[in-house]
Amino acid sequence: MSRYAKTLEQMGIPTAPCTAINVSEYVRGWNMLYESGMPLRYTTFPLPIAGTTREVHEGYVNGNDPLTGRPIMHQIVDALTRPLTREEQSTESAKGVLEPRLLPPATEEDLQELFRAKDWTDYLPVVLPTEERVAAMLKGTSHKPFEVVKTLAWPGGGRRLTVEKVAVSAVMAGAKPEYFPTILAMATMAPFGNSTTSMANMIIVNGPVRKEIGMNSGIGAMGPHNRANATIGRTFTLLSKSAGNLHAGVTTFGSLGSNLQYNNCCFAENEEALPAGWDPLSVQSGYKREDSVVTVATGWIYHSCVGELVTTYPPQLLIRDYMRSLTGMGSAALLCADPLVAGILCDQGFASKGQLAEWLSRNVRVPAGQYWGNGITITGVANLAAQGIEPFATWQKMPPDALIEPFNTPANINTVVVGGQTNTIWFITDFMVRKGVSIDSWR
Amino acid sequence: MPDLGAQSKTTGKVTVLNPACSSSPVERAPLTPRTFSSLDGKTVFLVDIGWGGPKAGYDVLDIMQGWFARNIPSAKTVLVSKKGPFAQDDPDLWKRIKAEGDACIIGISC
Repeated sequence: MSRYAKTLEQMGIPTAPCTAINVSEYVRGWNMLYESGMPLRYTTFPLPIAGTTREVHEGYVNGNDPLTGRPIMHQIVDALTRPLTREEQSTESAKGVLEPRLLPPATEEDLQELFRAKDWTDYLPVVLPTEERVAAMLKGTSHKPFEVVKTLAWPGGGRRLTVEKVAVSAVMAGAKPEYFPTILAMATMAPFGNSTTSMANMIIVNGPVRKEIGMNSGIGAMGPHNRANATIGRTFTLLSKSAGNLHAGVTTFGSLGSNLQYNNCCFAENEEALPAGWDPLSVQSGYKREDSVVTVATGWIYHSCVGELVTTYPPQLLIRDYMRSLTGMGSAALLCADPLVAGILCDQGFASKGQLAEWLSRNVRVPAGQYWGNGITITGVANLAAQGIEPFATWQKMPPDALIEPFNTPANINTVVVGGQTNTIWFITDFMVRKGVSIDSWR
Repeated sequence: MPDLGAQSKTTGKVTVLNPACSSSPVERAPLTPRTFSSLDGKTVFLVDIGWGGPKAGYDVLDIMQGWFARNIPSAKTVLVSKKGPFAQDDPDLWKRIKAEGDACIIGISC
């Protein structure tokens, strides 16, 4: 919102931006320094804003700013009329934060404590990134240490993520140099998901690199049972926190947080166990089978089917039932299916992942009232409905008990085959799969 | 994996690389001068950015509009919703406010 307020101020319109208390520190500090550059005159409101009554809202408007203690409406009028202070007229930019390449020498114990104090870790011990260890990691790629992998746009500050910075986080996570091309490809998708809704990421690896670096796609692939899976995924979080400067309550605001962020559910697809006609996720993304690819997905929900399949209820029906509990936001779903489940689905007539997605798109129906009963849906698409954009406008006019098909984009319903064929188990998630990234180009 | 190195063996201390990146603040921009000391006779736009859906911030701004009617009745207030999702810019609305308004209240971000 600060960019809208800044635009209006620069057009000569005095503006009073209003924000909820959860981001009040961020907008006055980080956002002002790195995003807007303008000392906007914010007024702070208590939470909740959405999902509460008009009486509560009336209390806010007639009450006080929880930060300043001043009557909210008097403060807003003041923000629009009070002459500017010298500070508010200033055009003198703040100085940037220059981070030295090396930290001052210290004992191992003190450095571990420093890394924790800086919130650069996940609070598990890290491997200290000595010059020798980072140099060894850099041998895992032909790319130069100071090549910029990505300039991190969020939360601002123009942080240039170099190959060497990625190597530092990879060392900290306990990765091997042979994992480094995969980690560099993954780093192009950094930082991790950041929302008050406590989103998370999932990292899926396809292609020959899986075998080359010993990733697990079989028994326990989604659990803590493999060094490559564990440390590649962990690097994503350490990178986001240290190089990306994402810190809870300062630049990230996930209310509950997500335990998946410890290693971002990193695993390899069990391509060898795909049913005939089913393509790996990377091939669905436009790559060839011989390409090595990492895919980052973003979402929230992670349901297990819990028990094995039974012959009286085909798996697609149970998957359909479970998908009814997902929000349908963006039509996104990601099925993680054991090869045994994939085989049964194939026997049920789904000759490809795409055919399964088409069937689920047509058959997952939820009451319109349920669809509109979730705040993420309201925030994401209710305004589109109000502007007449379809299908949201039609869905919003429907009675609460009328059924709609929220997964209306089959391309956003993806399937990954993973697991060790010890049971007919699957997970359904609402993770939105983003475009895969070539690992080979980072070798 | 290489050990902590010779430096550690001789001094008990280690030199490590800094995982943090340098940052550059954006250019500082001043607020626009306040040219009126009250909102009497002014046109104030109240803009809902849509966070939380069309009935969350909008409802708060609607109550604010009532406050203006009671407390600064000579001020004209215009309550509008920005187009698109909350993160989508709406340049046409900003132009309208520039053309028709004197001040703006905008919110509510969470």
